[in-house]
Amino acid sequence: MGLIEEVITIELPVGESFRIQRCRYAPKKEEGIKRISIVSGIHGDELEGQYVCFLLGQWLRSNPDKIRGIIDIYPAINSLGIDSITRSIPFYDVDLNRIFPGSKNDFLPAQIADGVVNVMRGSDFAIDIHSSNVFLREIPQVRIAKSQEEILVPLANLLNIDFVWVHDAVTVLESTFAHAMNTIGTKTLVVEMGVGMRLGKAYGHQLLDGLLNLMAHEGILDIEPLDVRMPIQSHVGEVAYLNAACPGLFVPAIEHCQVIEKGSVVGHIVSALSGEVMDEVIAPIGGMLFTIRAYPIVYEGSLLGRIFGKTNGDSQ
Amino acid sequence: MKRFDIVCLESPNRSPLRIEGFLFGEENTKGPSIAIVGAMSGDHINQLYVASGLVEYLRIKEEEGKISGRILVIPAVNAYALNMGEKNWPLDKTDLNMMFPGYAQGETTQRIASRLFGELKGYDYGIILEGRRDQGMCIPYVKLIQSGYEDLECVKDLGMGFVHYRPHEPVETAMLQYNWQLWETKAFSIVFGKNGSIDQNDTDQVHTAIVRFLSKRDILDFHVFEGHKSNILDPNRIIIVKASRAGIFISKVRCGTAIKKGEVIGVIMDALSGKKLEKMLSPCEGIVTCQYAHPLIFQNSIAFRIASVELCCQIDTKREEK
Repeated sequence: MGLIEEVITIELPVGESFRIQRCRYAPKKEEGIKRISIVSGIHGDELEGQYVCFLLGQWLRSNPDKIRGIIDIYPAINSLGIDSITRSIPFYDVDLNRIFPGSKNDFLPAQIADGVVNVMRGSDFAIDIHSSNVFLREIPQVRIAKSQEEILVPLANLLNIDFVWVHDAVTVLESTFAHAMNTIGTKTLVVEMGVGMRLGKAYGHQLLDGLLNLMAHEGILDIEPLDVRMPIQSHVGEVAYLNAACPGLFVPAIEHCQVIEKGSVVGHIVSALSGEVMDEVIAPIGGMLFTIRAYPIVYEGSLLGRIFGKTNGDSQ
Repeated sequence: MKRFDIVCLESPNRSPLRIEGFLFGEENTKGPSIAIVGAMSGDHINQLYVASGLVEYLRIKEEEGKISGRILVIPAVNAYALNMGEKNWPLDKTDLNMMFPGYAQGETTQRIASRLFGELKGYDYGIILEGRRDQGMCIPYVKLIQSGYEDLECVKDLGMGFVHYRPHEPVETAMLQYNWQLWETKAFSIVFGKNGSIDQNDTDQVHTAIVRFLSKRDILDFHVFEGHKSNILDPNRIIIVKASRAGIFISKVRCGTAIKKGEVIGVIMDALSGKKLEKMLSPCEGIVTCQYAHPLIFQNSIAFRIASVELCCQIDTKREEK
C-alpha cells in the first residue's frame, strides 16, 4: 500500500485548504534507486489521467514485491479545478500550465507551480497525462519539443501510445510543467489522449501497459517488459490541420482514428437556424484522423481535426 | 473621425463580433502615428473606460483642428467577453493577448489576433491599456518589457510616477507588446486599476498621461502640464508582503500611499471565528504600488508590493560606484 501525503497545503479563506496529494510506492531500501512521478490534473477538466492513476495504484497494491524504485502518483495537481470542472486555477482563472516554473514571489498560481516543481525535483522521470480539452478527441500520443527529441523519443516509444509528435519549439511552451522539469534534468513526457471531462477505459488500460513497460525497462519494476505497440513517428509524414471555414454546428461524417483518403468528407458545418449545410469539410491529405472535434459549436478557425499523412500528401 | 470595423467575425448564433477602430487625423499627415488598444479581456473595464473617453476627447480635439499626427483608438477587442462577464474568449477560454502575432490560417482567436495585428503594424507608437493578471489592484504604471527593441526614453513622456522595466517572460512572447516591439513600433503597456471596476482617479491619471504623451510627441497640438519624473523600477526594488494566513483581508492603506517601516498596512481575520490572525506590518519605507483587491485572501498570497526607498537607494548607489 502506498504512502499518501499532502505535499502542498495552502489555507483557503473559509475553513478549507488547497492541497496536492501524493501516493508514494517505494521499496524498503530507497538509496540509489530511480524515481518516477506520474502527474495528472494540471488542467482541472482533464480526467483521463485520474483513471490511469487509479489503474497504476491498483496494480502496485497487488504487486508490492515488484517495486524496485520510487513511484509517486499525483492524480490531481489542480485539485480545486478537478472537483469543480474548471480547467484553470479557480479564483485566479489562470492556466497553471502556462506559468511554470513559477515563483515564490509571484501570485498564488505561480507559487503552486513553484511548489510542484520543488516537490518533484530529483525524479528521474515524469509522465504528465493530459486529455486534450473538451473540444477535441485525441488518440494516445506523446508530444515532444524538437530540442528534446533525442532524449525523449526513445522513452516515448516505450509508452504503448499510438503517435509520437515532435514539434518545433515554441517559446510560450517554455512555461509548461514539462519544459520546467526537463530543464532541471527530469525526463518528462507529455501524454495527450481522449477528450476533456470524460474518461476512456481503453486508453487508460493502454497507457497503464505503457507505464509498466517503461518502468520495467528502467528497473523501477522487477517485471519483464511488455509487448507494446510501436508508435507512428511524426517525422515520417506531415500533420494537416482542418479548421472551420465558417461558424455553425460541426457534424462529423466519420469516426475518430480512421484512415481516410485525400478528398474524403470528414464532416459538415450546418446551420441549426436555416437548415442549410454551410460547408463540407474535406480531407486535404490522406492519412490517419488522429484528432477530431468533440464539441460541435464552431467559429471560423475552430479546429475540427488533424490528419497525419505521408509527406507528399498521397492517400494511404 | 473615421469609425470602422477592423474585425467582423460571424458567430454561430450571436451577432457578429466587431472590433471597431476610431481613426483621427489626416490620412496623409507627416506627423507621427500612434495606436491605442483598450480592453482585451472582458474584465478590463477601466481600460475600456479610458479608451472610449479618449475617443470622445479626440473627436472634440479633431473638430478644433488640434490633431497633428494620426491616432487609432480601439476601445474593445473582446466585446464578446465584456458582454457576458467573461475574462477570455467565451467559447474556448483562450486569452486574446496570448495569441500574437496571430495566425491567419489558425484557430479563431489566432485569426482575430492576426487581423488585429495586421491593422496595428506600422504605427510609430503603440499603447496597450492593461489590467492585472492577478486579483490585485495597483497604481497606474508603465510596463515596458525588454525585447531588444523597447524604447525607455519615450515612455518618460507620459510623466507617470513609475515605469516597471524588466526582462520579458516566456509567455510574454505571445503577447501584443512584445510582438509589436519586434515589428518596430515603440510599444508599451499602461497597467492600472482593479479588474471589473472603474476607478475615477486612476482612469483620469491615465487619460492625462496619454494626452501628455500625444502632446510631447507632436501628435496632438495642445499644451499640457508636466507630469512626474518617472522612477524606473525593476523586480529587485520591490518588496513583497505575503499573507501568512488565509481569511478576510482588510487593507489599511490605499495604492500609492507612502508608508513607514513598521506601519500597520493590513489585517487578516479568521473568516468563521472573526479572530485576528495576522497584523501585517510594512517591512520598509516606500510606496504601496500594488495590493490584493479581493476581501478573501489565500494563504501565501501577495498582499502588498512596496517600492522600497532603501532598495532603490542601494541599487542606485551601487550603480554610481561602478
